[in-house]
Amino acid sequence: MQRRVVFPHKLLPWLLLAPQLAVTLVFFYWPGGQALYMSVLQQDAFGTSVQFVGLENFRAVFADEGYVAAFWRTLYFSAAVTLLAMVPALLLAVMADRIVRGATAYTTAMLIPYAIAPAVAGVLWLFMFNPSIGVLAWWLKALGVDWNPTLDGSDAMWLVILASAWKQVAYNFLFFLAGLQSIPKSLLEAAAIDGARPMRRFWTIIFPLLSPTTFFLLVVGLVYAFFDTFGVISAVTQGGPAAATETLVYKVYKDGVHNLDLGGSAAQSVVLMVMVVALTILQFRFVERRVHYG
Amino acid sequence: MRLPSPFQPLRRATLAAALGAAIALPAAAQQRPIEIQMWMGLTGQGGELLTRFGEDFNKTQNEYRVVVSFKGQYPEQRAAAVAAFRAGNPPHIMQMFDAGSGDMMQAKGAVVPVSEVFKRAGLQFNPADFIAPARGYYGLPNGDLLSMPFNVSTTVLFYNKDAFRKAGLDPNKPPQTWPQLIDAAKKIRSTNAAACGYTTTWMAWVMLEQFASRHNIAFGTQGNGRGGLDASLQLANNKVLERQLQTLVDMQKDKSFDYGGRSNDAAAKFISGECAMLTQSSGGLGAITQGAKFEFGTAQLPHWPDVKGAPYATTIGGASLWVFNAPNRSQAEFRGVAQFLNFLRSDKVMTEWAKTTGFLPATNSAFKAMQDEGFFAKNPGRDVPILSLINAAKGENTNGYRFGRWTEIRDVFHEEVEKALQGAQTPADALRNTERRGNALLRAFERTAG
Repeated sequence: MQRRVVFPHKLLPWLLLAPQLAVTLVFFYWPGGQALYMSVLQQDAFGTSVQFVGLENFRAVFADEGYVAAFWRTLYFSAAVTLLAMVPALLLAVMADRIVRGATAYTTAMLIPYAIAPAVAGVLWLFMFNPSIGVLAWWLKALGVDWNPTLDGSDAMWLVILASAWKQVAYNFLFFLAGLQSIPKSLLEAAAIDGARPMRRFWTIIFPLLSPTTFFLLVVGLVYAFFDTFGVISAVTQGGPAAATETLVYKVYKDGVHNLDLGGSAAQSVVLMVMVVALTILQFRFVERRVHYG
Repeated sequence: MRLPSPFQPLRRATLAAALGAAIALPAAAQQRPIEIQMWMGLTGQGGELLTRFGEDFNKTQNEYRVVVSFKGQYPEQRAAAVAAFRAGNPPHIMQMFDAGSGDMMQAKGAVVPVSEVFKRAGLQFNPADFIAPARGYYGLPNGDLLSMPFNVSTTVLFYNKDAFRKAGLDPNKPPQTWPQLIDAAKKIRSTNAAACGYTTTWMAWVMLEQFASRHNIAFGTQGNGRGGLDASLQLANNKVLERQLQTLVDMQKDKSFDYGGRSNDAAAKFISGECAMLTQSSGGLGAITQGAKFEFGTAQLPHWPDVKGAPYATTIGGASLWVFNAPNRSQAEFRGVAQFLNFLRSDKVMTEWAKTTGFLPATNSAFKAMQDEGFFAKNPGRDVPILSLINAAKGENTNGYRFGRWTEIRDVFHEEVEKALQGAQTPADALRNTERRGNALLRAFERTAG
């Protein structure tokens, strides 16, 4: 039987919600509305001549040959970033969970990358992998790899994927570790007594019980890869070479901030908004069914 | 604490002692100096020097206080200034690089031509005081200047004399033509004097704008866009340009040319000694002098000897100073802007600027002053940009270009050339695609600017 709690007061709930609602309105609905409004206008950079053009900006976006290519590229990029940020994080969390002494120090060390701004993370990786001065680039060359992200598109892509994923590993690690620590030890002990080896215990008990965390991190990770990575790309490759690392969100940034094409940029961000909403709904419809909330 | 100028003679002892701080303070607060905001896009040595010029100006008078601030590289700074303009509070002066000029010129109502700013302030201003290429680039058909040229540069070739010696080349004979540069680069590679023969910064600026001017060829209709907003790019079937790109593509294969990325990134490849030759803005001299651990020389941008009349003059790069308009801006503020610009174009400032940074003096008198004191004779190589920009032959296509959304079109060119360098398309395709995509942008610009 479910018990419902009833609040007789009409105004109080709204008052309590007000700060959160204000934040959402100011930081989400207002800019979102602005983007929608600007996506149907065409204007010069200074806003001295503004004209209503209906859906023309959207037609231009979809007619742009680069846009469709950027869409597929973004899917590839986001999938790779999310995966590369989650798998090592889970591995490290499982290891950290077994540490008895010095666990706090280890955990703290693992978290530091998350405190680094995306652009700074990008620059760090750029230095390490810079073909002229980078340490890792030098090693790669010593191994006989022709490493050249300034001209080779897939080298550049891997560079921005690694730089974007690296930062997110820390965040995922923290959540996985918390998730692991909330799994009842008695379950694992019971399984061990029944003769389940560590691998089997992981796949039959730990992994399913972690699934709410995994699902949450999947959603957050994809949104991160879709929206938050333009700082890294801007610092490392500026979308090049030959548009090999130009993702949808970087294109929005470039067209809006650098090229001052506000209508086109707004139309792209509206499309991107719709895409991420759709992606999240899909995830909740299909992936969440397999999630086991304990 | 600054006191209003009429009280200046009384300032130090008499006034303060007689009236006391309690009375003097409110009077001073009323007449605080008018603040003039200037945004610049320079870092390092150039940025520090320009900031100091602002402070120097403040010491010469009490009426205005100039604040020079760095707001990011030119594109970021421009975006910030546009946002500030829309909010009704743009900086008084903005430094904008060459490629952004086409956009700024169409921003009617947003900028006030500098000739007009000086006229309103009652200060003498003769556009003919500025060196001819800058005047042509930033001027109106009636001769007035839209923006004030400040850091003027052009493309030059820097070469590593140590690597030249190692390769058995004469370090005092830099390549003057592209065939000579190709030979030198191949020799540097075959003797392994350096890991790469030649690289370039600013691919579109050097290989399209400067290269075209050097050979007096047009890359757009209507005098490279100077005739009107309906001009278009004309790159397809341009055989001279196509051969140049093909040359780079071929050289990339054995690293006699190695692509170093967009913008300024390739300079690091030269400074580290990896590449033995570099085409770069003459304004890049400071960084090379500071960073290079080898002897280097400067030469003019090479040309193809079989192109009729070549070498022609290169065009200018660098940046100029634009004056913003705003609804709440007072005449007094514009007077302050004019006075500061007047200070910046003085011989004293211009010569110090040019000597320290490697940019060219923007005014004829500063140039003459440097000549008179024998600066160019004492500093070999420093006259190279001047010879290339001012003394070389002029043609109908050496006056620069004027296109809107040019920063974006430069990136389109970068993208397409990168694709050609990857071997994913031919140089002819790269030019054809740049033309098609660039013209679409020009038509969009024409619509919003019209």
